[in-house]
This record gives sequence, structure tokens and C-alpha cells, in this order.
Amino acid sequence: MSKRKRPDPKSPGGDLNEPHEKKLLDLIRINQGRGATMFELKREKTIPATIVTRLIASLRKKNLIKEVANMNNKGVKHYLAMEFEPCSELTGGEWYTDGALDLSKIEDLKAKCVMILERHRQRVVTLEVLCGYFVKEEKLSVDQTKEILKNLILDNLIMEVKSNGMNEFASTRIGEVCYRLTGKKSGNGEPRAGAFASIPCGVCPHIAICSPDGVISPTTCVYFQKWLDF
Amino acid sequence: MAMSEFGIVYAVHIITVQFGSVVSKVCECLLRKGPLSSRDISRLAESDINHNQVKDILYLLIQHNCVQAFSIEPPDGSENKAIVQYIVLFNNILHRVRYNKFSRLVNEELGTECGAVLDGLLSNGRLTLGQLIERDRDSGKTIGSEAIRDSLQKLVAARFVERIPSPEPVLGNKEQEPAKKRGAKAAKILKEPETLEERVVEAATPVDAIRFPLIFEEDANSSLAVDDSNITEGKRKQRDVDSSDPSSGVIWRPNFEEFIHRLRHKACVEIVKERRDEGCAIVLRAMLEVGRSQEKKVKTDNSAPMSIGSIYEEVIKTEAGRTMLQERVEACLDQLSATSSYLPAFVTEMNDSYIVDFKSIISVAQKDEIEAVVMRRYGKEAFRMFRYLSQEGRFVETDKIADAALTEKKDTPQFLLKMWKDGYLHMQKLAITGTYVPFLLWKVNKLIVTRQMLDEMYHASLNLNLRLAHELESEKELLMLPSDKLEGPLKERVKKVKAKRLLLSSTMFKLDDAIMLFHDF
Repeated sequence: MSKRKRPDPKSPGGDLNEPHEKKLLDLIRINQGRGATMFELKREKTIPATIVTRLIASLRKKNLIKEVANMNNKGVKHYLAMEFEPCSELTGGEWYTDGALDLSKIEDLKAKCVMILERHRQRVVTLEVLCGYFVKEEKLSVDQTKEILKNLILDNLIMEVKSNGMNEFASTRIGEVCYRLTGKKSGNGEPRAGAFASIPCGVCPHIAICSPDGVISPTTCVYFQKWLDF
Repeated sequence: MAMSEFGIVYAVHIITVQFGSVVSKVCECLLRKGPLSSRDISRLAESDINHNQVKDILYLLIQHNCVQAFSIEPPDGSENKAIVQYIVLFNNILHRVRYNKFSRLVNEELGTECGAVLDGLLSNGRLTLGQLIERDRDSGKTIGSEAIRDSLQKLVAARFVERIPSPEPVLGNKEQEPAKKRGAKAAKILKEPETLEERVVEAATPVDAIRFPLIFEEDANSSLAVDDSNITEGKRKQRDVDSSDPSSGVIWRPNFEEFIHRLRHKACVEIVKERRDEGCAIVLRAMLEVGRSQEKKVKTDNSAPMSIGSIYEEVIKTEAGRTMLQERVEACLDQLSATSSYLPAFVTEMNDSYIVDFKSIISVAQKDEIEAVVMRRYGKEAFRMFRYLSQEGRFVETDKIADAALTEKKDTPQFLLKMWKDGYLHMQKLAITGTYVPFLLWKVNKLIVTRQMLDEMYHASLNLNLRLAHELESEKELLMLPSDKLEGPLKERVKKVKAKRLLLSSTMFKLDDAIMLFHDF
């Protein structure tokens, strides 16, 4: 008579030999998209630390769990149950592809958003309209669209306003969230330069070590020299 | 605000250029060590200056309103006499570089005759009416004693000029006040403790009726500014004293507080004009005119409430606002009260009254200055991070900042560390059990950033001054030659030096506006 247990027809990928294997799998499943690291699993008091490595290898062989690298710390591996997709904490988020931020895609989307607002310079564009465009044409989610808009606000290129139903808000509902370009910042349409930022000292990386009689001083400063060489 | 290192160095430079290095040594001693008696100054100053020289220097600095004498009441029952100490007035030293701005204000508002009288007071520190008349008589373009008297009265009425403060106010001994037990609520209502400088200035300042008299009583022919009050044991304590002796004249000096007050208002109008439009600027200017007389201090957060009627009445008095209808004024007020992610409200509407929010207007300009530096110095990624942290107003963890700013998670710490190293961000480490490395948390602390920027701006102002002096010194001989006799390359060189001088001077002018924005407004 064979001592081997028959494989459980309900469980995918084969039987669980050890009593702790199921416990380990349950622990990993509970964390869903974040999974668990070897360190966290070995800390579990209900499973002897010495056998965790073997159990993990066994579960992987049975295709019950997968290994995902943490994009913030590639040396740290997380073990996830097969049915879960890695969460944004591990992958970096929707803007990440293979651990790298898709910067050109983000800049492209931002430029398109600014173009839409430029076309409607005299009015505002509602969040609804912008989401409608980006979801349909650029295949973004509503949340991703909002992230792009928030990022443009941080760039100080656009502003978020609430409609009061009048003037430029005439075709929008009162209280509706809208966007417009920040527009003319100073007299000639250029971004405001800032009095301090317009001089060499304002942007100098060595200001902390500059002194009247020092090696770096205003009388010998090369940045001043360039600035006065017109 | 406590004086920063380059604030002190810059102030010492201003005094050195205008009064020489011996005077500036005394000034530096007071700036670095705080209020001292004259004996302590001669002991501690970094130069061999004897006690009599120190006294003369102090009189000079008092004459030019850079130092104020005071004493503290000795404890009850003590037989010690109150020792006279001297405190430096840092703000008044900085004002010395902006006299041309004060002159321009008066010339625009009250005319050139008042401007001439003010210039006399600015260059001499303090004068009597008699001395002003004498000065006018000795000058090339005399305007006559009546005109001088009228101009002085106009300046006093407008509060651009004031009677000098008490020469040696006595402060109560704070340690003697009984300790009162205060609850948390009472502590919040009480105003912040005053600095010693604030206490001294307050104690020295006479009441408004004396400070800005409506009627001039003294004899206009009196040319002596000097008399002695506080004479004890036959000793002269002070040269410049406003005394009750009828043979001396009242001594007048510029009232820097009022100049800063007006410049603050001007700056607010400019800020609104740039960020809203001309119409809003006209309405705001009118509101500031309506509310000005009720403002008790320069750095007031809000104006007094005012009705649409009083605002409109003031708007149509001005040339620019003469053709504005009330509907347009109301539309401008709506615009000024609107908020967005870009701009806060500049005006608050409450119970059919409108209040100017000075704090909001000034903070917008300060934010733009700070963010311009962050953008130019650290780049657009750091700019986004800084703006995100400014909006959040609390500690945020590195990864969250990376998500909000859409920057690479592995690159984000280096931007944050650069800003932190230069004092633009606050950082805290948070160790959590089970994690390999501690979390780094970041925050923008506006007070710390402001202090850091101010110190750098003082440094930059000093640098511009030194560079200008260096440029002019290196072409000193060329500049002494008559310019109409020069030709070819020499003429070009002179043109170049003059262009550099213009650039450096105009830059110093604008940078000083930024310093006032952070320090005085």
C-alpha cells in the first residue's frame, strides 16, 4: 500500500506535502499583491524558520507562488500567490514599466493636456472633458488622468479652479472642477524670474563657501564674470 | 527675527562704506554681542578704541538712528544706578541703502520741496527746523524758510517725518513682575513676547500727539539742536536730545516705519497687478488708501473692513479709476476674492464688507521668489517636489513624494538631499521595526526656508556691492578722464564700465525689494 497521499483534485498544481506548506501559502495569500519576503516568513513563529526556504522552493515548483523583485530594492524578493498581480509598491505603479518610470510617455501626455488647454485659452476645460479625452484616446484610467493634471499643477503650468457659473465658467455647472493654463505670469508672458534667482548668487551651488576674502569671492567669481560679460 | 551671519556682515559693510571701519567695529560689536554699555564696547570691540572714541562713535550712530540708548530699572531696594546700554537697530542700518526709494515716494506724493527736506534728514540723520533752514540757505538751490517750514509740516502730517524718540528710555525690570499662572487659552490670546529691541523702541517712542505734532511751536530761527536733559551730577549724557528747554528746537528724523508701510502697500498693488489685472490693482490701491489710517502696525495681516461704497468713492478719485463703473469694481472684488490652486484669495468678503488679506498677498510673492530659486538651482523635478511638500505642509515619505512628482524613485532622494543640505527642506528619519533602512521624511518649513533665503540675499547684496566697488576701482583712472575726450577702445571701455555699473546697481535695487518682501513686509 502506498503511503503517498492522492493529489487533491481541487488544488492547482499538485499536493501539499508538508503540514506547514499550506500555512505558508495562506500567509502569502493574505498579503495579496504585496506578498511576503523571506525575512517576514522566517519571522513567523508558527512555521519553523529552518524549513521555510525548502517550502518556498516547493511552492514555486508547484506553480502556487511566484517571485517578484521589489523595484525599490532589487535584492529583496517578494513571494506572491499566483492569482495576484504585484501591487504598485513592488512595481512602482502604473507609470512604471520593468522597474523604470516611463518619462517620455508622461511628458507626452502632459504636453497633450497643455495643448488642449491652450486651444481653450479664453475658457476653462472641465475635469470631465479631460478624463473623457484621455480615457478614450490615450487609454488612461481616470486616476492616471488626475495624476497627470496634478503633476502639471506642480509644474505651475495649469491651475485647478471651481466653477462659479459666470464669465469664463458660463458653460459649466457651479462647483464643477475645471482647469486652465496659469497663463501670463509676468508682463512679457515669460515665467516670473524672481529677483534673487536672476542673479549669479541666487543659483550658485557654492554660495555657502563664498566669502569676501575667500578663495571663492565676488571679486574673483567666474559666474559674475560671465554675467557681466555682455 | 534673529540676525543671521550674513545679515551682520552686510550691515557692517554698509556702516563701513558710509562711516569707516572704526565706526563699523563698534557697530559689529553690538551686532554680535547684543546690547552693551560703552565701557563694555571699548573692552570687547576688536580694535583699540578708547572709551571717549567709543562714546563719540555711539553719538554718531545715534545721530543717524542706527543705535538707541536705554537703561533697565535696577531691582527694588538695590543701590545700583541704572547703567546705560546701547542697542543696535539692525533694520535702520539696512534702510540706509534704500533712501532713494524713500525719496522717490515723497517726491511723488508731496512734491520736490518736501523731497529736498527729506533728503536733508536722510543724509544728516536728524535735524531741527532751524538746521534745515540753514542747510537750505547754504545750498545752491534755496527754496526759502517758509517753504522749508511748510514742507516739514506736510511731511509730519503725512507721518514721513517724526519727532526723535526719547534718548534714554528706562525699561522696567522684567524679573520683578510676579509670575502669573496662565491657562492654555490665556496663553493663546496674549501676544508673543517682545524682543528687547522691540521693548526699547516701544519705550522710546512718544505718543502720536507728541511724535507727529499738528502745530509747530518752536522758533524757526533756532539753529541749535543740542541741549542737555538728563543732566545728573553735571555730566552730559547725550548730545542729541529733545528737551523741554524753549531755546532748543524740536529735532526731527525720518519715520522709517511709515516708509516701509507705504512701500508694503505699493508692493501689494504690484503683486496683484501682475497676477490679476490692472483693474484689480486700481481697486486694491483704493482699498489700501481707505484702510491705511486705521492700520496700527506695519506688518498687519488684514486691513480694516470697508464697504463697497467707500471703496468705489476712493476708486473714482484716481485718474485711472475715474471711468470705472461700480459693477466693474464689484467684478474686480469678486476676482480678488476668488481662490484656485494657483492663487489664494487676496480679499475676504464678510457681511457686505471687504478686507484686504495682506498676509495672503505677501505670501504669494514670497512663494514665487522661493520657487524661482528652487527651479533655477535644483531643476524642475526638485521644483515639483518642493511645491508638493509646500502644499502638503507636513512630513511626507520619500516614495510618496516620488509618486506625486512622477520622478524615478531611485533618483528622488538625491534631489531631496541637495535641497536639505542647503537648508530648503527639513528632514526626519523614522526607523520602523522590520524594515532594512529607516524611512526618510521631508517637509518644507516656511520659517526655516525664509531665514535661509534672507541670509543668502544679504550675502548676495554684499557680493553685488563688493563687485561694483571692484569694477569701479579697476577702471578708476579711466573714469576720471573727461568722457568727451575719449575715443575708440577707451570710449568703449568706459561705456562697458557704465553698463556694468547700471546692471549691478539696478540688480541691487531689485534684490533689496526682495529683502524687504521677506524681512520688512
